[in-house]
Amino acid sequence: METETFLLNVGPVHPATHGVLRFKLRMDGETIRDCQIVVGYLHRGTEKLGEMKTYLQFIPYTDRLDYIAAMPNNYAYVRAVEELAGIEVPQRAEYIRVLVMELNRIINHLVMMGSLLLDLGGSTMIMYGFRERENALQLYESLCGARMTFNYIRPGGVREDLPDGFIPKLNEFIKDMEKRIVDYEELVNGNEIFLMRVKNIGVISAEEAINCGMTGPSMRGSGVDYDIRKEEPYSIYPDLDFKACMRREGDSLARYLVRLDEIRESMHILKQIVDAMPAGKNVNQKYGMAPNTGAPTAVTSYFPRIFTPPAGEVYCRIEAPKGELGFYVASDGTTKPYRVKIRSPSFCNLVALPKMVEGLKIADLIAVFGTIDIVLGDVDR
Amino acid sequence: MNSAEELKYLLPASVISVGVQTNKPLAVIKKEDILQVAEKVKEMGFDNLSVITGVDREDRIEVIYNFFSYKKKQNLVLKAILDRTSPSIDSVVSFWKVADWLERETYDLVGIKFNGHPNLKRILLPEGWMGHPLRKDYDMSIEQFVTVGEDGEDIVSTDGSNLLRGE
Repeated sequence: METETFLLNVGPVHPATHGVLRFKLRMDGETIRDCQIVVGYLHRGTEKLGEMKTYLQFIPYTDRLDYIAAMPNNYAYVRAVEELAGIEVPQRAEYIRVLVMELNRIINHLVMMGSLLLDLGGSTMIMYGFRERENALQLYESLCGARMTFNYIRPGGVREDLPDGFIPKLNEFIKDMEKRIVDYEELVNGNEIFLMRVKNIGVISAEEAINCGMTGPSMRGSGVDYDIRKEEPYSIYPDLDFKACMRREGDSLARYLVRLDEIRESMHILKQIVDAMPAGKNVNQKYGMAPNTGAPTAVTSYFPRIFTPPAGEVYCRIEAPKGELGFYVASDGTTKPYRVKIRSPSFCNLVALPKMVEGLKIADLIAVFGTIDIVLGDVDR
Repeated sequence: MNSAEELKYLLPASVISVGVQTNKPLAVIKKEDILQVAEKVKEMGFDNLSVITGVDREDRIEVIYNFFSYKKKQNLVLKAILDRTSPSIDSVVSFWKVADWLERETYDLVGIKFNGHPNLKRILLPEGWMGHPLRKDYDMSIEQFVTVGEDGEDIVSTDGSNLLRGE
C-alpha cells in the first residue's frame, strides 16, 4: 500500500519530555523516519549572567542547571575557579565534597530509573525511587538547608561542616539502599514487559556514541570503558576503590543497567569516605576575612568573597551523573569572570538521539529518550 | 612531546604557536587551515570534541576547541583568532557530529559563522532574535518579546506588538 509521511509534533510541554523540549517527527505510519529536536525553551542566559556576577555570586546559578544533581555543578565551577586562582582546599573539605557528589549520583539515577519506568507505564518504581530520594534530600537539608539547590561548595572548601548526626543517618541510608536496590532488581530487571520495551532498542555503537559527543553512563552503555573519575582523577578519587561501570550492548537496557551498577559503586565509595573521613577544617582559613569578633561567628566569613584570579583561562571537566560536565572560565584579572562557558552533558547527549530513534516506532522514542537521562535546565542553560 | 607540539611538528605551516590552557596543551592555528588541522587532529586519535567556546575579546574573537582522545587519554586545545567584524571559520561537522549543535550554539550566542555547516540556525534563542548576547557590546537595555506563531515559528519584536491578539 502506498503511504505518505506526515509531520508529528511532540512537546514542548509533553509530560514524557521531562521538561520543555520539542520533537518534530517525520512519521511513516507508526515508524519514525526523521527526528528533529527543538531546544531553548528554558534558556536563561546563564553564561551571560556569569559575566555579570562576581566569582562567588555565580555559584547559585550553577545549581539551576541540572537541578536533579546540583552538587556536581557547584563543584565543577568551583574547581575551575580554584584552578584559575590557585586556591588550596583542605583534605576534609575534599572528602565532604565527594561524599555529597556521590550521594547526588545515587539520587540522580533513582530519578532516572523512576521516570523511565513511569514513561513505560510502570508507576511503582518512581514511588520507590522518590521514597529513598526523600531520605537523601533530608540529609542535604540538614547539611545546608536546601534540598535541591544547595550553593554548598565554595572556593576553598564547603560552606559548613557536617552537622552532628549526619554520618549515622548516612550509614542508615546506605544500609537501607542496599536492601532496596535488590528490590529494584527483582521488580524491574526480570520484568518481561520492561525487557521487551528496552532490549535491543535504540542501539548505538561505541564509535557513533563518541562521535556524537555522548558521555557518561549513556556512553558506557555502548562499551566505552571511560570514566573521568578514573582516567583524569580529580579531588580524592585516586585514593578510592571503585570501578567504571560498563556494558557492551549499547541498547536502552544496557544504559539502564549501567546506572543501576553505578548506584552500587557510589554506595561503595560512600562507605569508604565514611571510614576515612579525616579531621580538620571544612574550609581553608588562609583566604578571606577572619571573623572580626573574638567569639566564633559564622564560618562563611572565612570564604574569599571578592577575589581576583590572575588573567588566564581554564577548562575543567568532571564526571557528573549525566556525563562530562565542563566549565570554561576566562579571567581578565578583575573580580568577575570574563567569560563562562558551560559544557553540559545533557546538551551533547541529545545530539545522538535522532540517530538512535530512526526507524523505531513512536512509542520507543520515549523509552530511548528516557535512558539518555537529560534535564532541560542543563540543556538550555 | 605533548599533543600540541606533535601537531606543530606534523603541520608546521598551520600552527602559529603552542602553549598551555592551564594544564592542557594548546595550539594556536591559522583559521584558514582549520579543516586540514581537523583532519590531522582526528588522525592523531582525538575522537571526542568536548566543547567549542567563542570568546569576544573586544579587538578580536577567539574560537576554542577542546579535544580529548579516548585511545591515548590525552587533551588538546585548538584556538583560532577571528576578525571581529565578520567572524567566520569552516565547520568541522564532517569530522565530529557533536559539532553540529556546538557550532550552532556558538553562532547563536557569540555570532561566529561556521562555513559549510548544514543547518546554521539559532538553537537556544528564537529565530529572529536581535544580536548575539555574549558579545561584549550586546545592548541589554533593549527588551525583546517572543511569541509562537500559527505554525510554531518564533515571532520577535522590541515593542511587544506581537503579544497582542489580532482580530
